[in-house]
Amino acid sequence: MVPCEGRYLYGVVVSRKVVRLGPIGIEGGEVYTIPYEGLSAIVHDCPAEPYQSLDEDTVKKWVKTHQNVVDEAKKQLGSIIPIGFDTILKPKDDVTSPDQVVKDWLKADYERLQTILENIRDKDEYGVQICYASRVIAKQISEESQEIRKIREEMAAKSPGTAYLYKQKVERAVKAEIERLASDWFKDFYARVKRHCDDIVVGKTRKADRNKVMLLNLSCLVARERMDNLGEELEKINNMEGFSVHFSGPWPPYSFVAKPVVPVEEEAK
Amino acid sequence: MNPTRDTHATLVDLLDRVLDKGLVLDADLIIHVAGIPLLGVKLRAALAGMETMLKYGIWQDWDEALRAIATKEYQQKR
Repeated sequence: MVPCEGRYLYGVVVSRKVVRLGPIGIEGGEVYTIPYEGLSAIVHDCPAEPYQSLDEDTVKKWVKTHQNVVDEAKKQLGSIIPIGFDTILKPKDDVTSPDQVVKDWLKADYERLQTILENIRDKDEYGVQICYASRVIAKQISEESQEIRKIREEMAAKSPGTAYLYKQKVERAVKAEIERLASDWFKDFYARVKRHCDDIVVGKTRKADRNKVMLLNLSCLVARERMDNLGEELEKINNMEGFSVHFSGPWPPYSFVAKPVVPVEEEAK
Repeated sequence: MNPTRDTHATLVDLLDRVLDKGLVLDADLIIHVAGIPLLGVKLRAALAGMETMLKYGIWQDWDEALRAIATKEYQQKR
């Protein structure tokens, strides 16, 4: 049997007790807590090597399991600092026990963990993506823009060959107008969403579904009592002709615990 | 409008978070500061394979997304 000298980390909660969550971990790992001075790491025992696979479904299954454990720990133990996939601690010598390594880490990182827990208490993360439907918006613009209307009117009187060139001209003008407007939309939507958030992280936009262009990709940290306000704001945006909102969550605050460890004295240098 | 955690609709949101975010334990720094060795943190990129990343458009965004901050993005959009 492979020795389980590694500890796979799921997250950190406020708890003083050893709690057993059952065999809900990755590959059926028994999940339990390792406490240190009022903080507890959620772990399972594993060999001291990362989980690796080139099979997409396997990785997806692991990621879902990872998330399930974080959800379950949150349900049973309250606010959780989620840790990214495949974070494994192991002793560097034969003397230290794997559990001790986890305790040593909690001890070393104690202040930062406390600060993060304070920041995320009673808050959840939500994903907000706002897209526009390029065809709908292009149609609106070509009807509303005077400049484009003028080109179209001129086009009507031209021969098919020249009209083709005019058509390209219209397309270029529409594209330029969308780009100009997109900057205004971005500012407007960003401000409207931010109002309802305790913290916000702007992610890079992803490729959206066909005919849709992602304008904003936001992660929002929101106090529980403010969630309804955010929902209402997003509803308004979602109801705007040509725009759609993807609203996911509540997630553990993955996007708001990601600052790397920088001790104060290091930062000052 | 209510948020969703439906597994189908939010798979990308999930992968994006679990693979790319969450508390970072800086291996080098921890070894340096507290002598705690750490495995696996830097291997997330290799883990899910190129195909998954390309399919979900995560790969291209990987590096920049990690560093994305509101002001920077805001300026880029202007």
